[in-house]
This record gives sequence, C-alpha cells and structure tokens, in this order.
Amino acid sequence: MTNRRQFMQYSSLVGLGSSVPTFLARTAQAAPDAAKPGAKDTILVVVQLTGGNDGLNTVIPFKDETYAKYRPTIKVPEDRVKKLNDHIGLHPTMDGLAGLYEDKALAVIQAVGYPNPSQSHFRSMDIWHAASTADSLTEGWIGKALKTMNCPAFHVAGGNESAPLALTGAPARVPSITNLADFQLKLSDQAGQRDIVRKSAMPSTNTGSQTGLLDFVQRTASNTYDSSKKLQELSGNYQPKVPYPQTGLANRLKVCAQLIDAGLGSRLFYVSIDGFDTHASQGGPQGSHANLLTEVSGAITAFYKDMAARGHKDRLMVMTFSEFGRRAKENGSKGTDHGSGAPMFLVGGKVNAGVHGKHPDLNDLDMGNLKFTTDFRQVYTGILDQWLGVPSKDIVGEGQKAFKVMV
Amino acid sequence: MVKNLDPKWAWEPYSPGEKQPWTKARVGHLYRRLAFGANVAELRQGVATEPQKLITNLLAGRNPSPTYDAATEEYLASNAEKFNQDVQASGWWLYRMLHGPAPATEKLTLFWHNHFATSNTKVQNVGHMVRQYRLMNRNALGKFDVMLQEMSKDPAMMIWLDTVQSKKGMPNENYARELMELFSLGIGNYTEKDIREAARAFTGWELKDGKFAANASQFDDSPKTVMGQTGNFKGEDIVRICTKQPACAKFIVKKMFRFLVSESEDISPALAAPLEKSFADGFDIRKLVETIVRSNLFHSEHAYRTRIKAPVDYVIGMTHALESRMGTINGSLNLATALENLGQNVFHPPSVKGWDGGPTWLNGQTLLFRQNLALDLARRPAGPDKPALALALAEAHHCKSPQDQAALFLDLFLQGDVPVETRNRINEYASTVTKQKTPRFWSKRDIVEQQAVSLCHLVMTLPEYQLD
Repeated sequence: MTNRRQFMQYSSLVGLGSSVPTFLARTAQAAPDAAKPGAKDTILVVVQLTGGNDGLNTVIPFKDETYAKYRPTIKVPEDRVKKLNDHIGLHPTMDGLAGLYEDKALAVIQAVGYPNPSQSHFRSMDIWHAASTADSLTEGWIGKALKTMNCPAFHVAGGNESAPLALTGAPARVPSITNLADFQLKLSDQAGQRDIVRKSAMPSTNTGSQTGLLDFVQRTASNTYDSSKKLQELSGNYQPKVPYPQTGLANRLKVCAQLIDAGLGSRLFYVSIDGFDTHASQGGPQGSHANLLTEVSGAITAFYKDMAARGHKDRLMVMTFSEFGRRAKENGSKGTDHGSGAPMFLVGGKVNAGVHGKHPDLNDLDMGNLKFTTDFRQVYTGILDQWLGVPSKDIVGEGQKAFKVMV
Repeated sequence: MVKNLDPKWAWEPYSPGEKQPWTKARVGHLYRRLAFGANVAELRQGVATEPQKLITNLLAGRNPSPTYDAATEEYLASNAEKFNQDVQASGWWLYRMLHGPAPATEKLTLFWHNHFATSNTKVQNVGHMVRQYRLMNRNALGKFDVMLQEMSKDPAMMIWLDTVQSKKGMPNENYARELMELFSLGIGNYTEKDIREAARAFTGWELKDGKFAANASQFDDSPKTVMGQTGNFKGEDIVRICTKQPACAKFIVKKMFRFLVSESEDISPALAAPLEKSFADGFDIRKLVETIVRSNLFHSEHAYRTRIKAPVDYVIGMTHALESRMGTINGSLNLATALENLGQNVFHPPSVKGWDGGPTWLNGQTLLFRQNLALDLARRPAGPDKPALALALAEAHHCKSPQDQAALFLDLFLQGDVPVETRNRINEYASTVTKQKTPRFWSKRDIVEQQAVSLCHLVMTLPEYQLD
C-alpha cells in the first residue's frame, strides 16, 4: 500500500509542473474585482482539524437519550447546547458559529464520511486530502483544482507543520508561510548576491546524473524567491476590522485575511489546527476538546467578520473537516477512540445555510462507530463545481451526487 | 534504478576501485549519513583512511571528542530536568550531537525518536523525555525486539499514547493501534479487531512513582485473539506476537533503507530480502546498519545526494563544519529554537508518525528560514573578541584571498561537487568582491569579514547543499 511518504517521494516531484514558476507575477495582473457581480473570484479556505474531531460533541444530538447513555462523563447537557433545531445543537463554546448560523452564514453537514473508513489517522487523512480511497494516493484535491484555476494558493502554516498532501500536484508549488515578516531572504550583500542565488536555483543544464530531488529543491527555491519578493511589497502591518482571538488558528486566518485583502488573486488557502486526538480526559462542556472548539469557532468567526467588513463575505467560503470522528461511546479514560462519520462546517456569505444531511443513528452503529450519511466527496463535488467553477469529475471522479453548497 | 541492482553486488562491502574511487565526496557522504557531516580535518583524514576502517571508527565514536565537555553536558541535562524546560532538553541533545563522543549513535537515536515519535507537548515531563531518549540511545544499535518491549513500558510513551489510562472493561486503543501501525508492522498488516483485542492486553499498565507498574486489578484477565493466536495475553505477549510477524522485519528494513540510503527510491523486494532475513533472526540493529553502510550500494551514486537534509542535519552539520565551539542554547543564536522554525523541534514531533521527511522538509517558509539561519551562523562570532565564524575558519585554514575562501567553502560544504557554471559564478563573485564599495566607516577588518561571510553564505544557499 502506498503511504504518504512514498507519495511524497514520487508524485510530488513529478507534480510540480514544467516551468520555473513566476506565479505571483502572472496572477497579480489577474487579481479579480471583488465588487463585480458574478466574477469568478470565489475563495475557499480549508480549515483542517487534525487528530480526528469528536463530531458527536461538536454537533450534539441533545434529545437522544442514547447520547447521554454512551457518554456518562463527557456528555454536554441539553441546557448548555447552542440549539440549532429541536434535535441538535452546537457545543456551548461555539457561540461564534452559532451566531453565524443565525446570520445564515453557516452550513452544518452531518455525518460526513466514506465507505469502509480507515481508522488510521494518516491513511484517513490522506484519503480526505486526495479525495480517493485508492491504494496509491498521489495528488491532492486542491492541487488538482489549481491545475484548472491556475491562481496562487497559500498554506499558512503553524510551526512544525509541513505542506499538506491536499495541495500537491499544483502547477506551481504552493508555498507555506508562517508569517509575512519572515518570508524573505536575508543576504549580507543584497546587490551582489541576489542574482547569483537566483541563478544557482535554476535547474542546471547538466542534470543528467542528478536525482529528482535536486530539481525539487531548485523549483522550491525559485518559486520561494519569487513569492517572497512579491509579498515584501505588501504593506507591513495588517489592521483587522474586528479583533481576532489570541490563538494560533486565529493568527493563521489573519494572515489569510491579509493575503486576500492584498488582492494577489489567491483563491485557495489552507490552515490546520492540531490536537483533536482526544483519547483521554477530553472533557464535556469544558476541558481540552472544548478549548479546541473555542479556538475553531472564535478564529473562524473573527475571520468571517473581518472579511465581511472588507466586502469579501460573498466571495468567501470556509470549509472545516477532520480525518474522522470518534467512537460513539466514551472509553475508560474519559475520552474517545478513533471512529468515523463527523460533521463538516461551511461558512460564508453565500453558503447554503442550515443543517443538512441526517444525523447518524446512535442505535445503528458499525463496530461502535457512527455510520456516515453524506460522502465527503459529495461536498467536494459541490465546492468544485458550484463554488470554484472547476470540473469535479477530473478530481473526485464521476458518480458523486453534488451536495448543494451555495444558495 | 535501485530495483535493477544485483543484491549480491549491492550488499557486498565496498572497496575502492577505478570505477568507484575513494574521494572526498564519498567521505562527505559517509559523514552525512553516519554522523552530522564532516569538517575540514575530517574530510582530509577521511580520504587518507581506508573506507571500511573509517566506518569502524565512526561507529565506535570519537573517544574522547576534542570539543566535548562532560561537565557541560551534565549541567544541561540536569537543568533540563530540574526546571522542566523543553528548550534545555533539546539543547542538551544537540550538544551531544555536536560535541558528544558518538555521533553515529546520536544519529540512530534520532532515527528511533522519529520512529517512536513522542512529543512533550502532551507528556509534559522533561524528565520522562530524557529517560526515553536514554532508552533509545542505549538501544539505538542494539536489539529491536528488546527496545520495543522497553518502549512499551516507557513512562513518556505510556502517557503519550494513553496506556496509563487503559482500564479493564474499557480499554484505550491508542497504544495498541500505533504499536502495530507505526512501531512494528505498518498499515495493512493487522485488522481493527486485532487492535481492539490487543488493547485489552495492555489494561492495568500504570505508572507508580513515575515508573511502570502492572495493576492486576485493572488487567483484563481473559483470552484475547490477536493475529490468529488466542491466549490470556499480557502486553508483553502482544509485542512479541507483533515482532514475530514477517511484516515487522520488512517494515524496519524499509524504514532504515530510507534513512540511510535513499528517499528517492524505495528498497526493492529483491534487495530487501537478505536484510529482512538477517534482521528477523535476532533483530540486530547494529548488524543491519553495518551491512548497509559498508555496502557497494551505500557508496554508489544510487545513495549519493538522494535525501533532503533534515533540519537537525542541516543545523548541526553547518555548526560542526564552521568549527563553532559555542554551545547550543546560550547566546543570541539559539539552535534549539532555530530548529523549531525549520520544522524539526526535537522532543516535539508533529504527531506519532514523526516527521515525514524528504520533500516535506522544504516549503517556501522553511527554505527561507534555512537560508537566513545559515547567514546568522556564518556571521556569528567565533568567540569573545573573535571574528565571524566564516572568517575565523578561512584564517584558520590559511586562505589568502577571496578565491581561496571560495575554494575552501565549496570543498567543505559540497566537496567541490557543483556544476561548472555555479563554480564560475562564485569564483567571479570572489574576484569582484574586493572592488565593491563599502560604507566609509568600515574598518579593513570589517570589509574582510563581510567578504568571508558573503562567500560562505553564498555556498550554503546552493540547492545542492539542501541534499544529504
């Protein structure tokens, strides 16, 4: 079975495209006009919840007695839930997203998954990234979309975070950025050295005996020097229109906001938040899982409101996902083991707001796990075809009924 | 292609010949893979030493290392524990890599840290992390099955993967899963049912006064069926059952090949077969490592520059090559913190899978962090009232001109193996750098220092230098 590493060895190398990219130079000219109605300038921001988010304590079936029975120590009581309807509600820490629900800017898709789910973090994450359950996963769904969209994209990374598989396969390598101030090459003799550094990063004419890795380094370097030069021209300090929480995810989304507002023509952004592998002491209304949901809800809400205040809300769609949900019953450590079927959120001015899909039946489990009711590729299909305007069949294949993502 | 090679030739010990001469490039390669790169003296002595003898020396370690100070090491280790400080702990390990007596063992310890990837982000106990390091360091070239048994009872691991939380009737599956998926077999070689059954065997494993203790009252004392075998298994039995699977030797051999030989190609079944057979018989890590690093394949073009330098290799390699005697955590340039930016914060792997390595090390941001760190290092004073490391090194090796310096740095960092046009560009820069205008207030010394730093940094920014 091909794993992530093998994938990185082979396909990321060949998936880098042929030209040494000058990607920002090209697309900056094509920066879209946000005010123009109907313009194909929609933006997708993917928020990855790494580790397997406990969907059952995120979108909570508070009326279901089985829920309380399965989760004696980690249940969220009905009076704490942010109710979305008579059956389900959001975790109490997600008041930001609950507000967006009131504003018709939040879609909740319940019990999303895929057949024969893998309970390995890494295999399941790869499946979501590649939009495929094939043994050999070589390219990411966003990387493939970029072949059609041909616009810049950014991975706004936290520390210790490498580029996601989802972005692989793009015509130009998607740069990871931690913060804009650090995204520049320092030289002791700028005038004398810059040209030499750039030329040395060009693929050599004499590459006969070299491995693909040297080529990979050269492309990464060339691409990075180009992007960095362009990004240095952005104004230094970004002044958000609304305050962002002081959290890692909020900081990363703030960088996205700055890049969106700079009008570089980027339409795809990728951020992650780690820590959802809550095998032990995950807590109920409070605790470690609650803290993670606070960060997610707070960051996305601030980002959406900031973008809305700048007139971008109808161009924006934020999509959250996690590699799997967790076991319906809590374990003996007041946590939950790996499961399947979990909710996704879509946030934006034009999303098909409301609660969609069927909540998983707690009395009809598969080895203790929730059964999915919506395939994640249906959501991808909707996003690609309806929102991004990219033919989905080349990416997720045919036969997935599109989920309606926008109104 | 590796897969077309004759296994007999591939694993025979390398000896220099007309077609495969013993060169500085090969010495550099050996030092990069079995240590953290060579400095000027090591390259010079390496070429003059018979290769198999040099490998023996490297595996044995420097004894005593000229830059190693046991008291400093002890101070760093005790401080890390006493103050429960992460950065002190990684600084301590980096100190061992940079100055310690056995770089090859440190290198393999890093391999095992990536294999048993445990993060103090969750463990929250530097003492436990240090003890887990010692477990891996002690077994780094020992017996894999022994290490896996010890690791299963290691306090940091038991906290990291929730073994301590696993109770009779309500087992926690975390450790059982990763034991199979990541530590011994690889995905596809076990079932979800194996995991659930195996998890029951680890129930009642607790920590008492920070040490492993089996609590019989929390142990699931009933039959379990794992990998087709049924019995009232304990955790030790599960570990033993896992190592007895053919998938286990395959899994470790494949990973070790990637670490020591190539990230560009996987080991082929034909090449793997003799290593797997030998490894399955006794799980002797030293034998596996020795077979690989002594082989024709290891010293061939199939292994040369076929990996991306990991951040630790990059940082320790540069520091060692520049002959810095500075510590790893004090001063304005903190290597332990710098590593975090580069994406390899030791004792803090991003997940239990460890670092993916290979191309994932380099993205836009980490590449820039690397290049900028290289400049900071080249500029770092060699000591109080001493010039920058780049100039100090050039003077120590009697460079008379910028051209001499360019030759020194190209030789040191890349053993001169760069495309002709790159060499020409750097030589041209060296010949014009003395004519550049500099601020009036600069002393002659400032100017000379600036030139050495610029040349050194220019060589370190070459794409070839990112390869291992």
